[in-house]
Amino acid sequence: MELRQLVSRIARQVGALLFGLLLFLIFVAVQGRNPLAVLSDLAFGAFGNSFSWQNTLVRTAPLLLTALCTIVPAQAGIVIIGNEGALLMGGLGAVLGSMAFGFLPPAAGIPVILIAGSLLGAIWISLSGILRQARGVDPTISSLLLHYVGLAIFLFLVEGPLRDPATLNKPSSWSIPEALRIGRLGSSDVHVGLVLGLIACLGMWVLLKYSAWGFGVRIAGGNPRTAAMMGLPRNSPVIAVCAIGGACAGLAGAVEVSAIHYNANASLASGYGFSGILVAFAARQNPLAAIPVSLLLGGLHAAGGILQRRHGLSDASINVLQGLMFLAILMADGWGASTRRTAKG
Amino acid sequence: MLSFIMALVAGAVRLSTPFLFVSLGETITEKSGRINLGLEGILVFGALSGFGASYLSGSALIGVVAAGIGGALLGAIHGWLCGRPGTSSIAVGIAMMVFGLGISFYLGKPLIQPKAPQLPDIDLGWWATSPAVRAALRINLLFVLGLLMAPFLRWAFRSTRYGLIVRMAGENAQAARAAGYSVECVRLLATMAGGALGGIGGSFLSLYYPGAWTEGLSSGQGLMAVALVIFARWDPMRCLWASLIFGAAGSLGVALQSIGISQGFHLFNAAPAMLTLIIMTASSSTSGNSGRPRELTVFS
Amino acid sequence: MDFAIETVSLGMRFGDFIALEDVSIRFRPGTVHALLGENGAGKSTLVKCLIGYQKPSSGQFIVLNKEADFASPRQAHEAGLGMVYQHFTLAEQMTVAENFLLVRDPIPLVVDWPKEKQRLSEFMNAMPFKLDIDTPVSQLSAGEKQKLEILKELFFERRILILDEPTSVLTPQEADEVLGLLRKMATETGLLVILITHKFREVSGWCDMVSVLRKGRHVGTVAVAESDNQRLAAMMVGDNEDAGQSAKATPNSGHTSDKTAGLSITDLILDTDRGRRLDKLNLTLSGGEILGIAGISGNGQRELVEILSGIHAHYQGAIRISGAVFNGSRKQLRVLGLNIIPELPLQNSCVGRMSLSHNLAFRDYDLPPLSSKAGFLMLGRIEAAALDKIAEYGIRSPGPAAPIEKLSGGNIQRAVLARELRTDTKVLVLYNPCFGLDFGASAFVHAKIREARARGAAVLLISEDLDEVIGLSDRLCVISSGRIALEGDPKTLTTAEIGLHMAGHQVS
Repeated sequence: MELRQLVSRIARQVGALLFGLLLFLIFVAVQGRNPLAVLSDLAFGAFGNSFSWQNTLVRTAPLLLTALCTIVPAQAGIVIIGNEGALLMGGLGAVLGSMAFGFLPPAAGIPVILIAGSLLGAIWISLSGILRQARGVDPTISSLLLHYVGLAIFLFLVEGPLRDPATLNKPSSWSIPEALRIGRLGSSDVHVGLVLGLIACLGMWVLLKYSAWGFGVRIAGGNPRTAAMMGLPRNSPVIAVCAIGGACAGLAGAVEVSAIHYNANASLASGYGFSGILVAFAARQNPLAAIPVSLLLGGLHAAGGILQRRHGLSDASINVLQGLMFLAILMADGWGASTRRTAKG
Repeated sequence: MLSFIMALVAGAVRLSTPFLFVSLGETITEKSGRINLGLEGILVFGALSGFGASYLSGSALIGVVAAGIGGALLGAIHGWLCGRPGTSSIAVGIAMMVFGLGISFYLGKPLIQPKAPQLPDIDLGWWATSPAVRAALRINLLFVLGLLMAPFLRWAFRSTRYGLIVRMAGENAQAARAAGYSVECVRLLATMAGGALGGIGGSFLSLYYPGAWTEGLSSGQGLMAVALVIFARWDPMRCLWASLIFGAAGSLGVALQSIGISQGFHLFNAAPAMLTLIIMTASSSTSGNSGRPRELTVFS
Repeated sequence: MDFAIETVSLGMRFGDFIALEDVSIRFRPGTVHALLGENGAGKSTLVKCLIGYQKPSSGQFIVLNKEADFASPRQAHEAGLGMVYQHFTLAEQMTVAENFLLVRDPIPLVVDWPKEKQRLSEFMNAMPFKLDIDTPVSQLSAGEKQKLEILKELFFERRILILDEPTSVLTPQEADEVLGLLRKMATETGLLVILITHKFREVSGWCDMVSVLRKGRHVGTVAVAESDNQRLAAMMVGDNEDAGQSAKATPNSGHTSDKTAGLSITDLILDTDRGRRLDKLNLTLSGGEILGIAGISGNGQRELVEILSGIHAHYQGAIRISGAVFNGSRKQLRVLGLNIIPELPLQNSCVGRMSLSHNLAFRDYDLPPLSSKAGFLMLGRIEAAALDKIAEYGIRSPGPAAPIEKLSGGNIQRAVLARELRTDTKVLVLYNPCFGLDFGASAFVHAKIREARARGAAVLLISEDLDEVIGLSDRLCVISSGRIALEGDPKTLTTAEIGLHMAGHQVS
């Protein structure tokens, strides 16, 4: 793509996000809060000082991974929105892995836990892919339905057979042994999960853009009839992208359990999966663009606490902001298309 | 055993109501050629609007009307965005879901504790001596409304001007344009109508059963209704039967509790979602094509 | 009143593109008036202005003595104009009766079905061709659907009826039936029929007047009785040198026959949700020959090509390519040398938003030299290979990095040819390869087809353009209702025979 086109596209996306932010500020003004103060607190809470930055980066890590759960399948033309379900399955996988292999030394144990989480996440989203190929079931709907099923299974296990009896007030699973919890970067609060997320995004970008396999996936996503005519396999690209996407979201869940919560409980379902969908769309399904967008959204999540304390805006206000940004992105898509149309005459 | 069946039947009628309204609304939307994946957000927003309006006004019926208006509003946003060139209705649906849930949870924070006036029942079991039978035969007003609406919609699609225009927009948009109708306008209004019904379906949750506003009110009912419409082959009467089936699935957990089985509560909550998946898997892609409006593409 | 319609310096432009310029034509009532011209000449644009679909950028037109300023087709209908489009404007899931009702203006608020159905039945009885009003349109054949379209307009007693290539989905006999009725109604009731067509047969057989458009301009209007095909062709095409080359039968001289090439299809059966589309289709084809398959669209051609394109996984029967059982895998396509030029190449064998150079690499991007052994793309080499093909086939584009959907139809076709015509192509399948192309581009495609045959490839040419099939084939088949109905030498078969088999009638 030409540089000029790329710049204008980026400008449009950034403009849309800012417009969403503007709508949110109008929204808080209507609620009787000072919009400028809210804006400055958002910025400060996200990127204002070292503490904010750490908070932000901790929240960026899972977003990098859950976004890939939508971005990767999108290359094959599949829209997956069950990211949250795969994340939960990943958390479950981490707990199960730690229960089975908790005796291993960290060098082996940590990878095992993370792989277990990724595997469960991969299986979960692959189900959507398999149902689509085998029976023509729409993967967008099936992936979200699987989220609800996965949530039910998660809660059932975590509050039932896998429950740690010591956790009476807030039912939780058995904990990950201390030795197998993911370490921090230096002396900060930021954990290694951030690095995993960055590697995953870069890796996916290289794979999709520069590999022959990725090229074939893009043909299948661009025009399935053409893919068939070129003799490309019918099923394996679809299931593979679902498995990869699910593995990334599962990894996010495993990382959250192993670095933040240390066990699996209901608070694992905190919406990183759904925010990942927004990141994917705002990044126009580009794994590289997902990095700055995840950072932005991570910052907003981090700043949510300040909004609550200083302005009395509940945590749901960040969801409203996300929703407005999402709608603004879609409005910008439509606007871009119509200006292109008039230019062609 | 009898009390289990009674509980199941009563539960089926109760829980089918939100499915019924949302699916009838989505039938209108899809017959016009558009799909609305944001119904989950509309459902919850309707529940909130209904609860809030009932609380503030003291009348549950005003709540239902407010829920309809709220749903129509979100439906209008969805319809307007989808009408613009270059937008994917799947993406818009997901965005509306996120936005609808977000704004509902935000505005609903102060409403979690208070109670609001509830919708009345119709007591069909006044003759019964057993309290279980009496309870089972309490039918809510909205269900009756839905029961009347299903055959009405079926007739309207066949024999009224607006029903035929909606179908034409969904069958052959080019022809509808050539005949002088604005397809975008038809779809926008159909989406708003679908949103209004979806909102009313949501008000059932907060104004009847479970009868309060919480953040866990819906677990995918809005989305399942989309699958339900496909399963019902876009026929309003089949939506009625399918809603009853889904309602029965949803009330399985509670019905089992009534005879003392209370384990696996979470799993039974997921029964409607599982049922939806099974139904979608079982109905092959070929047979589902009869009755599908030509202009409706899920992968749009 | 002399004229039913008179256009006065009508013009239409879309941005920089001038679709119509200074078009002044007079149409008399009670005549069948043809609009003749190549693709892109402006016939459809002119007619869209008349029917109120769009407003002309300049000029005006007068309908039945009143200056016309239609804001919508609805207003045109009120003025007495009706149009039968090329693409059906029918609601498939609805019945014939419901489709009639949909055109009513306004549709009654509540429909009294018994009364409406009675009105319709009475109307049907007065017409020479009848349809069952309770049948869903999806169950009608293409010919019946076209008749329904025409009946819909006649039901509303239009004074002016415009038809856009109405007979493209009809057999020659059905076409005669329809045009005969329209001619009769024109003479008897004073109806003006404006007929967009590119078939000389129809012009000379059924029309009174013919207006020729070329590149948006009105070249001339003549009475059919005072003209002949040569003159009309000259008006249509102008000084285009390639005009004469396209569909002339060429002797099959001096070609090599590659014994290893060949396509054999035995008892092919395909069932889809639209029913049994291929019903024991048999054909054999060897290297160095062009087998043409003629037929009306909808008789199984698309499904046959789709099977060879790997789109249908489940079918019965045997397909062998150069002796090997066809499985559609990428490796097999390469080894056996099967290449396909489908209809509507942009929709079927390209990815619109991917670049021209990437589209050109679809067949071999995963092999060296375009890929490394580790499976990574060598983007520089892909671009270099693309530039070679662009030069060889004269593909005009904004550049190799431009998305292929930005190219014109003719250039997209050239790109697909460039990709599919390899030196080791052994079996070449083409489906409507020249649809929508102008004479120059068509001639280019035909030349490439002959080249492939000369190199020894087995060429299967499936086309709904009868002239093209007759002109290029060594052997000719007719496909009808999913099977081969006729096979013979195109030089000796008569149009009547072919037409009958296209319609599914047996010649006893």
